[in-house]
Amino acid sequence: MRRSVFGKMLWDQRRSLLGWAIGITAVGTFYAAFYPMVNTPEMRQALESYPQGMLEALGMTDATSVAGYLGSTTFGLLGPTLIIVFAAAIGGSAIAGDEEQGRLDLVLAHPISRWNVLAQRFAAIGAAMLGVCLILAATLIAISGPFGLGEVSPVNFVATSVQLAVFGLLFGGLAIAAGAASGRRSVAFALVAIVGVIGFFGNNLGPSIEGLEWLQRLSPFYYYSGGEPLRNGFQAIDTGVLLIVALVLVGLGGLRFDRRDVAV
Amino acid sequence: MTEMIQAAGLTKFYGRRRGLDGLDLEVRQGEVYGFLGPNGAGKTTTIRILLDLIRPSGGQVTLLGEVPRAGGPALRRRIGYLPGDFAVGGGQTAGELLAHYAHLRGGVATGRIRSLADGLDLDLEVRIGSLSKGNRQKIAVVQAFMHEPELLILDEPTTGLDPIIQQRFLELVAEARIAGQTVFMSSHVLSEVQQSADRVGIVRDGRMVAVESVDVLRARAVRRVEVRFDAPVTVEGEVLRCRLTGRADALVKALARYDVASLTVREPDLEELFLTYYREETDHAA
Repeated sequence: MRRSVFGKMLWDQRRSLLGWAIGITAVGTFYAAFYPMVNTPEMRQALESYPQGMLEALGMTDATSVAGYLGSTTFGLLGPTLIIVFAAAIGGSAIAGDEEQGRLDLVLAHPISRWNVLAQRFAAIGAAMLGVCLILAATLIAISGPFGLGEVSPVNFVATSVQLAVFGLLFGGLAIAAGAASGRRSVAFALVAIVGVIGFFGNNLGPSIEGLEWLQRLSPFYYYSGGEPLRNGFQAIDTGVLLIVALVLVGLGGLRFDRRDVAV
Repeated sequence: MTEMIQAAGLTKFYGRRRGLDGLDLEVRQGEVYGFLGPNGAGKTTTIRILLDLIRPSGGQVTLLGEVPRAGGPALRRRIGYLPGDFAVGGGQTAGELLAHYAHLRGGVATGRIRSLADGLDLDLEVRIGSLSKGNRQKIAVVQAFMHEPELLILDEPTTGLDPIIQQRFLELVAEARIAGQTVFMSSHVLSEVQQSADRVGIVRDGRMVAVESVDVLRARAVRRVEVRFDAPVTVEGEVLRCRLTGRADALVKALARYDVASLTVREPDLEELFLTYYREETDHAA
């Protein structure tokens, strides 16, 4: 297992993966731990006094229910942001990072096709995303009693984390594809940043701007949280959309990767 | 089929810069072929085309009768490659890395990695990051030889190896040759090729300047002769220094008339040959 391209990538990155899992879980837990302080009449009143448009832009329309609170904090802004950064880092390094360090040559000189290397490393990104997000889910389920998060069922925590993982995989797929096509990590980082920022505002502001409503439908954030998995559980169609787009991106990157020269 | 590598009119452009300019190459089955040239002559470019890491801009190339691109993984299974710049992650041990490579190659005979490592005095349990450049190069040597491929493509294989290990490396090349493997090895250090190669190709500015057997090169070479006499002879003083090509008979018979105190003939090294070929090329160009 550790000897395949898939297993080796995960094994080589085990420390970094553990770091991301701890970081993302810590942030998620930190927010969850504040829920008892937010769930008060005073806080409700304070939030009601904010302009509705501003709350919508921040994704905080329902900030005092458990699902609303976690959906606008742990799973709303910081969770996805951290996952996107994680995806850019792991996806950018998977092909382009190796190439920039001159390490890709020897792997590709072995009896393995470029498509195979790309596919196994993309699968490793998927496994890493799922692993990190499930650790987050397990931790939230474990603390949900003491912090009064019981309104959200364990299944819905898992469903939301799966949505987060697939959302991360889309950006991971974008990063590995851009890196494989260009051979440069900077290209991967730039594309992830652009899609992330436009996607975020497209999802949150698109519906309130006339003529730009369609932008929401193009946003990865919409397919991540639009179905409100914290309330409604698994969202098979949204999961499917994110997965398929990720696969298409990797496929496009692979077409170029298979044809181009590998840099020394 | 006797041609292990065949290239005709191979060209490669990097943007507008020319990497190869119509290179011709023929490597026969079972021979050790030294691919010589200074840095930037196109050696690494040629080798990376052979391994399908880069694609040629023009010309034809086949390995074991197949085009690198079309041959794909099945073709590369029959090749061992030692890259000019062996860059790998430092966090793993040599043993872990070699096990990974062995897996990619579909397995390696049991004990083969260990025996190669022992022969080169390489510790498989140490993290690669803490190894010296020479010790890393040993890993590169092991991974190229471990699956006993039909064709070995080695890009400057002895870089960083100390003289004892270099000698051990040359023994590995000799063993491979006896086992019927073909070795294609590039170098800008001519002495290492001189010892092990059957034929030598000299590349310059992306073209093959000369291909000769090492024996022919030696015979053609200019030897430096120094003769010391007991008594002064007509050559001013008691020392004769001259340059000799071809047969030595005439010189020896001429010397037989005198009392010779010492006679030294310095074997030419390929370094000088190399320069000779360069000079010829430059003269033609001028």
